[in-house]
Amino acid sequence: MDSRLLMTLQVAVGAVQKIGAVPHGTRVTAPITDGTFEGPRIRGKVLPGGGDWTLLRADGVLELDLRITLETDDGALIHMTSFGLRHGPPDVLAATARGEHADPTTYYFRTTLRFETEHPKYAFLNRLIAVSSGDRRPEGPIYTIDEIL
Amino acid sequence: MRSRPLMTLRLKTAPLQDIGAVPRGTRVTFPITGGSFEGERLRGKVLAGGDDWTVKRADGAIELDLRVTLETDDGALIHMTFEGIRDDGAPAAPYFRTTPRFETAEPKYSFLNKLLAVGTGEIRADGPVHVIEELL
Repeated sequence: MDSRLLMTLQVAVGAVQKIGAVPHGTRVTAPITDGTFEGPRIRGKVLPGGGDWTLLRADGVLELDLRITLETDDGALIHMTSFGLRHGPPDVLAATARGEHADPTTYYFRTTLRFETEHPKYAFLNRLIAVSSGDRRPEGPIYTIDEIL
Repeated sequence: MRSRPLMTLRLKTAPLQDIGAVPRGTRVTFPITGGSFEGERLRGKVLAGGDDWTVKRADGAIELDLRVTLETDDGALIHMTFEGIRDDGAPAAPYFRTTPRFETAEPKYSFLNKLLAVGTGEIRADGPVHVIEELL
């Protein structure tokens, strides 16, 4: 599988909404308040209003369902969605939950992403599949996003 | 992104169902009648009854939405889905990529519940073939 860097994305998370125990697991929604993204072909900021709808499953795996709007530095709006899985050793996950930073190679945090835009300059995003590695940091997650070639 | 082979999936399809022009594009459904999958850690057959629900968009790209049930050679059932994009007009070569996901109750294969994967698809004379890799 060949891939190349599409962008690095950092998002800021607001106060989480603990929906609680639902039939599929434990649901927590994290509003996205801000952020930035940067790559060789694209850069800009994350608009407030998106969110990450997470579900902790019975097997300990966290499903992440992120939807945000990106605004490029030349004014294009891009709808982005990302579906991810996060799991790892309990002590590592507990440390990140306390706001500590853990080496991202010590746990699994991967997502698959899709983009939609009207802007011709960025229309290539409509036609690709991307994957990311996440790094959960106290100030908000950082995603290194690669285009699948 | 690092990855490693998970399986090669071969699908057999019945005559397509041309739903036609719908608001999102041109919808065509491919019933899946069988197939096989093989990798280092699992192998078996594809059960009849799944489908790939496709929509060709106004920009020419085809969106895929597949659901099938896999049965391993030792009798485990695995629910598999993928979404994908097929762009036959891509500049370099046809682009056909998918993001499979798996659900199973069988402990031996529960690693599938915890991984994300990417598939590279190809339409061959005897049906679609997807080379699927696990994201590490």
